[in-house]
Amino acid sequence: MDNQFKDTPQRPFEQEVARLMVEVLYLEVDATEIQPEAPLFNEGLGLDSIDALELALEISRHYGVDLKSDDERNGNIFASLRSLAGHIEACRTP
Amino acid sequence: MRDPGAVLFRSAERVVTARTFLHAAHRLAADLPAAASIVNLCRDRCHFALAFAASVLRGQTNLLASDRSARRLRALADEFDDLVSISDDPAAPSPLPHHLMSPAWDAPAGDAANPDIEGGRIVAIVFTSGSTGTAVAHPKRWGALAARSLAAGAHFGWAAAHPASLVGTVPPQHMYGFETTVLLPLHAAVSSWCGTAFYPADIRRALGSVPAPRLLVTTPLQIRAMLQTDLVLPPLASIVSATAPLDAEMAAAAERRWDTEVLEIFGATEMGSIAGRRTIAGEAWITYPGVKVSRVDDHTLVAAPFLAPTRLNDVIDVLSGERFRLLGRRTDLIKLGGRRASLSGLNHILTGIDGVADGVFVAPDDHVERPTARMMAFVVAPTCSPDAILAALRERIDPAFLPRRIIAVTALPRDEVGKLPYQALAALRARLVDP
Repeated sequence: MDNQFKDTPQRPFEQEVARLMVEVLYLEVDATEIQPEAPLFNEGLGLDSIDALELALEISRHYGVDLKSDDERNGNIFASLRSLAGHIEACRTP
Repeated sequence: MRDPGAVLFRSAERVVTARTFLHAAHRLAADLPAAASIVNLCRDRCHFALAFAASVLRGQTNLLASDRSARRLRALADEFDDLVSISDDPAAPSPLPHHLMSPAWDAPAGDAANPDIEGGRIVAIVFTSGSTGTAVAHPKRWGALAARSLAAGAHFGWAAAHPASLVGTVPPQHMYGFETTVLLPLHAAVSSWCGTAFYPADIRRALGSVPAPRLLVTTPLQIRAMLQTDLVLPPLASIVSATAPLDAEMAAAAERRWDTEVLEIFGATEMGSIAGRRTIAGEAWITYPGVKVSRVDDHTLVAAPFLAPTRLNDVIDVLSGERFRLLGRRTDLIKLGGRRASLSGLNHILTGIDGVADGVFVAPDDHVERPTARMMAFVVAPTCSPDAILAALRERIDPAFLPRRIIAVTALPRDEVGKLPYQALAALRARLVDP
């Protein structure tokens, strides 16, 4: 992975979301290796729209947060593990 | 052609009638740059359709590019002289001479001239990936496209008395989405939703925004996703599925869940859609009016209006004049996430990368049942890291086929004639992948 993101540690909720991603998407990396500020889509982890759908389903099921395409924040929600975890935390139903 | 007052496209902001669409198409046609061909990069479905219509009025050919990378666009410019790109998004970059369109929806009084487009005219070109890794162009004639839309309308019974509202989750630049969500409204009694509809939440909102009867045009991947949520949908006349076989049990579950009928379309990029069926009614496909299929050894020949007899890489069993069932697929072709590729084509690209002495893509055994399955690859590349190989592949192939795992080996178990026997490859996998 890209060196410039290496030193940012994962926050606890980010660790949880990272584990969920690895499990749901059958990723070959260790959850602890996903750098919180590295890109998720296209470069970085290299996820694509098929993954986005799988992830959206699991996020809905697990956290009660429904993702929508028209949500302008979307481009930023999926920008990194940090932004994704942040969005879920902000929107989740307790 | 449809009545001037018929609704062709719907969005949250507007309803576009045939009259409005035609006026806007003529206006845009006058604005378009002179060019032989255009690459349509519009994001909004209605804009995409408008750009297509305008370029047809200008006598231009539309290239449908599912890969919009700069690399692909430059490759298209090399192959097609006098090419411009068109988009509705000011932020979208293009390495080609580019036109940013702004549609004019205010229709003056009166009806615009209904164009008389010659059936034999090539209006679009769609691409498939060939067995040597290079893209193969398939010209589409206006007559063929129109005939297919009219046939679909007749086959599925979408009559002018009860025009249907179509919501499609599929992008307009792939043949399936192009045929259904862009072309169908031009010929059949159907209006198409212009907003995005990708996540289950989007689909529910889109269907709720359009009048009955409602059609959802989608794929097995999306249907599976929807079934996994507790999604409630407004009354739905039909769900239409294509791009990959739909499991009959999943179709039955969808019919029960949303009190609807689940239909499938069978087709290929080379010829458009040619047959349909209701999934739970059985294996047999029923050909559209005007389509003839015949089996020839290990493949199929398809004839249809404005389509010269074309080879289909599936083996069929002809049941009667209009009915057939699928027996098998040529094993070189693989489909992931609704995209199609040639395995030998992928391998060709892999071994063409600098530093890769040998390599092979392997599809997971369960890729048909598990639509989110990914490829993996074995490579012989002592001086090239898996990351570097992945980066090179990223520029060259559809993202759906990027290997989730690249394993470096010292040699591939080829036999004396250079072939990679299935058993040898399976043994390698057993040793290295699932020990």
